Amino acid sequence: MINPILLVAIPLLAAFLSIMVKKLSGVFLFGVSLFTAIGSFFIENGSYVIGGWKPPFGINLVVDDYSFLILIIVNILFFLTLLNGMWDLKKNETVLLVTLAGVNGIVMTGDFFNLFVFMEIIAISAYILASSTEKYYSVFKYLILGTVGSSLYLFGIIILYGTAGTLNMADLASKLPEISNSVKVLAFTFIFSGLAVEAKILPFNSWVRGIFGNSNTLTGPMFSTVYATVSAAVVGRVFGQILTIDTNLIYAFITLTLMTFIFAESAAMASKNLRSILTFSSIGQAGLIITMFLLGGFYAALIQLVNNAFAKMVMFSIATKTYSSNEDDDIDNLAGIFRKHYMMGLGFTISALSLIGLPLFFGFYGKINILQTAFATNMWIPAFILIGSIIEGIYYIRLLVKLWNPGKEGDESSEEAGTSYTILNGFTVSIIALVVGAVFVVAGITPEFLVENIEKAANSLGDINTYLSSVMGGI
Amino acid sequence: MKRIIAILLTVAVGIFIFTGLYGEDSDFKAFGEKNISDTVANSYVDKNVDADRESPESGSANVVTSIVVNYRSLDTLGEVTVLFVSALGVALLGGFLKEKVTFSVKPGFILKNGMKIISGIILITGIYIFIHGHLSPGGGFPGGAMIGSSFLLMYLSDEEFKTKITAFKIMEGTAGSLILIIGLAGLSIGGYFLYNFLPNGNVGDLISAGIVPILYVLVGLKVGSEISNLLGNFLNGEVE
Amino acid sequence: MSQYLYIILMLVGIYGLLSQKNIIKMIISLNILELGLNLFIISTGYISGSNAPIIIFENDTNFVDPLPQAIVLTAIVIGFGVTAVALMLARNIYKKNGTLEIDEIRGEDND
Repeated sequence: MINPILLVAIPLLAAFLSIMVKKLSGVFLFGVSLFTAIGSFFIENGSYVIGGWKPPFGINLVVDDYSFLILIIVNILFFLTLLNGMWDLKKNETVLLVTLAGVNGIVMTGDFFNLFVFMEIIAISAYILASSTEKYYSVFKYLILGTVGSSLYLFGIIILYGTAGTLNMADLASKLPEISNSVKVLAFTFIFSGLAVEAKILPFNSWVRGIFGNSNTLTGPMFSTVYATVSAAVVGRVFGQILTIDTNLIYAFITLTLMTFIFAESAAMASKNLRSILTFSSIGQAGLIITMFLLGGFYAALIQLVNNAFAKMVMFSIATKTYSSNEDDDIDNLAGIFRKHYMMGLGFTISALSLIGLPLFFGFYGKINILQTAFATNMWIPAFILIGSIIEGIYYIRLLVKLWNPGKEGDESSEEAGTSYTILNGFTVSIIALVVGAVFVVAGITPEFLVENIEKAANSLGDINTYLSSVMGGI
Repeated sequence: MKRIIAILLTVAVGIFIFTGLYGEDSDFKAFGEKNISDTVANSYVDKNVDADRESPESGSANVVTSIVVNYRSLDTLGEVTVLFVSALGVALLGGFLKEKVTFSVKPGFILKNGMKIISGIILITGIYIFIHGHLSPGGGFPGGAMIGSSFLLMYLSDEEFKTKITAFKIMEGTAGSLILIIGLAGLSIGGYFLYNFLPNGNVGDLISAGIVPILYVLVGLKVGSEISNLLGNFLNGEVE
Repeated sequence: MSQYLYIILMLVGIYGLLSQKNIIKMIISLNILELGLNLFIISTGYISGSNAPIIIFENDTNFVDPLPQAIVLTAIVIGFGVTAVALMLARNIYKKNGTLEIDEIRGEDND
């Protein structure tokens, strides 16, 4: 059993050493990433104290079933992203090691200010990674919005400190009923705004189009899988478990997240560019997942989170590889490209169908649970979710048809009318696409192994008392 | 039109904040009227966080230092990492501009010769401040910033000043790795990461408070070398 | 009263970000926002009639709240790091587009 602080300390140590020995930095990166991907299976639940000072006076790292699941998923996704983006690493190895440390830390932390520090670590690493595409103005917009968001978050937690006197998550959760309502509304709004920038909620998501839409083989999968999962997981932890909000404010937040979902799916329908379609789909899925976290449907949210992360990994890696081979990803010009690359096409198709939620794939369980949770609250929410899902289904099916069939719509499909583009160096991408596709199909038919662990994680998120006793009652 | 929307939005946010914090319903503590025993910091100030240990449990006279390096040391590690990544990012972004920055106003006589006297004094003041971080106000971060400013003076006064950039990088990397190695040593000796395993000594002595002065010296060196590296990359515009 | 001033500084920073069109002015507004926020954080720790938190005499522990000061130390350094990256981005934007007005920079969404 390893101490989970090593998941943060070893990548940081490797990062500090790797700038002195430049030649070995690639070895460090892959070695440490493999270490965290495997090592994250071997941590035990509990509250780990830093420096020997008990919470709430010191900082602690909390490993419960929820953070255990997210840690495993994120570390595996990080390693797969590295395999996909091997040729685009350029000089970013040290920044990637720091990202790995930050991502592991933010999932486990049990202190609000520590969350702010780790949030800034992963944000600055994201700005630097994104600037490897040389689209500096989009990165600048991301920087401004991200810094405003984190400043609002810091303002929110300081208001809570000024009232309750503590910064520790468990301590604050137990003191929450004593705080007056107006202070709570103010603080929660600012904390939500701060976390919503990274989680891509309206109106804070104007940066997403520029960054995701211009991604290369490293940043595309990294942002849409690792960062998206971590931001949604943090919102789930903070607003699902620790800070309990009263109903009016929850409906205000849900209005925002549902609007994000609907607008994003509509924008995806109107897009003609492969990476843009996937970008808007990511925004929409983020809105949907966070709606589920706010409603209390943790099980549905976690299934959709896992589904989205792996599906987007496959789809973004194929899309960015296509762009980097051909300098163009307008879908009209890509008609029929999957006929030349059957393995990638198969993986892409399975991922897209799983994301829509068709039966026989893993995403079906996600959609069913989402609709079940939504119908249990009131009539409007499931109506919006159904409208959005139908729009999503339409544009994904249209995309798949276009990518498999050469020729214009309505004409006979023939080989000559197909695209002249090919995808180079696609071997790793094909293998990963096939493996993930196989997992989706197997899990769709016999989901017991995966859903058991997801259910444990969801239950631990809903149970604040176990969290409190493990932190305060423990070491 | 856009200005009017901006003003309205700002005023709306302002009204929201003011009524939330200072209205009748709120229990946000007003300015100056806080009671420190309501907060966590009461135990930091009285130095009795852990009742099992003998007092004083953290031997530094500067309470803020004991919070930053001892009680909440993971935040300091994160902050040092943020600075590290920023310096790295500036170096990576600097590769886009290939030519070196030249000054349109050449440095004059006073700057060139005054620099030789003053920059040494600033450097020594910075080193003094981070060595005495546990006894007087200051510490690693202000001390490191002063070291950075003395190097900035050297860069500005002499266009051909090229320190070996590799020296900064080696110091940065070594200081950072040493901080983590001390933390891991604490993990293996005391069972907790960044555990204070050296003896505490008397409050007020130079050699006291366990690993706190060692960590702060390392932080000060790291911050100083990072800021100097960053400023050098701004001015020279090349990547190594 | 000084807390009102710090919140007004933050609002000035937000207004600047919403209304300015020049990249350097946006970076300055961001710094004003962070400045107001840091001052506000320190001001929440003030207790009237107390001293700075440095132990000089053994039994005199009438200090202001030291925790916000530790928070602000970290926040200032993080703000410095972000500003450094923003300024380098501004320099590269200028080299690529020849201008620093956001109205004149076009053509970056989806190549």
